[in-house]
Amino acid sequence: MIVLEWLFLTIAPCDAAEPWQLGSQDAASPMMQGIMDLHHDIFFFLILILVFVLRILVRALWHFHYQKNPIPQRIVHGTTIEILRTIFPSIIPMFIAIPSFALLYSMDEVVVDPAITIKAIGHQWYRTYEYSDYNSSDEESLTFDSYTIPEDDLELGQSRLLEVDNRVVVPAKTHLRIIVTSADVPHSWAVPSSGVKCDAVPGRLNQISISVQREGVYYGQCSEICGTNHAFTRAPGNIGRLLSPLWLSRTTPGASHPRSKLLQRAAGAVGSQGARQ
Amino acid sequence: MGAAHKIAHVAYKGPSVVKEIIYGIALGLTAGGLWKMNQWNNQRRTREFYDLLERGEISVVVEEE
Repeated sequence: MIVLEWLFLTIAPCDAAEPWQLGSQDAASPMMQGIMDLHHDIFFFLILILVFVLRILVRALWHFHYQKNPIPQRIVHGTTIEILRTIFPSIIPMFIAIPSFALLYSMDEVVVDPAITIKAIGHQWYRTYEYSDYNSSDEESLTFDSYTIPEDDLELGQSRLLEVDNRVVVPAKTHLRIIVTSADVPHSWAVPSSGVKCDAVPGRLNQISISVQREGVYYGQCSEICGTNHAFTRAPGNIGRLLSPLWLSRTTPGASHPRSKLLQRAAGAVGSQGARQ
Repeated sequence: MGAAHKIAHVAYKGPSVVKEIIYGIALGLTAGGLWKMNQWNNQRRTREFYDLLERGEISVVVEEE
């Protein structure tokens, strides 16, 4: 158990930016995992070329130093080497293109039957989220605003400029459709952990598909300049607590909360056994 | 003046272009191979993490007290 805990702690996912972070946040969706894998594949070629070029450069400086080699050669042509140095660098992008196109087209695939559709509407300078899937005919959608918690109101342990008052709560391991738009100026809805960035353009609906592979709280920030408080707007306002398929049993306290009731109906619609009434 | 320097030393042959290129590619592949090993290690650890999560041996949800 201790070993497992140690293992877990060393690979504990962190879904918000860390101080002095160099790389990407831990992947929480297959899309982000694919993006990171592509980056690592391309980085292999970067290292190969960097080391090769640095080696040749250093060796050239070493061999042709003016004291060691006072008379420079006058070479103006070298057909063989010119052919080689054209062909080999053109082969490398072909190796890069294969995983790149594979990822690109798989990211473009639209999920035909997502379990839930959420609308994310950008405002200056907050987000509105709508869950409209499980309305009865005479009901309005579950709609709520999501504001960044001001610095003065933060509790101990909360992240500055990342926490919001109302988080978006979605089920884990489920195909989601997020429809992103804006009510005023262009914004952008981004969640780095999930590999999602979608522009919120007024007068346009942009659609993205996500499937988050594990429970957690995921953070994001507005990614399109939208005015004075652009830096203080959380793009998704947190993806919120992504829970297991028995998510409703863990959503309470607050069973009488209108959000819980709506989502309990949703659970009933998908046949979940663990929902509390 | 240049000839005076040459008299005192063995004539400098210069590097072999082919050898330098081969050494450079070998070094580049070694460095790239180290990176690949790092990538495979990360992938293995990620796979193990999700396997443990799937089997229920670890959890990312804080248990309610």
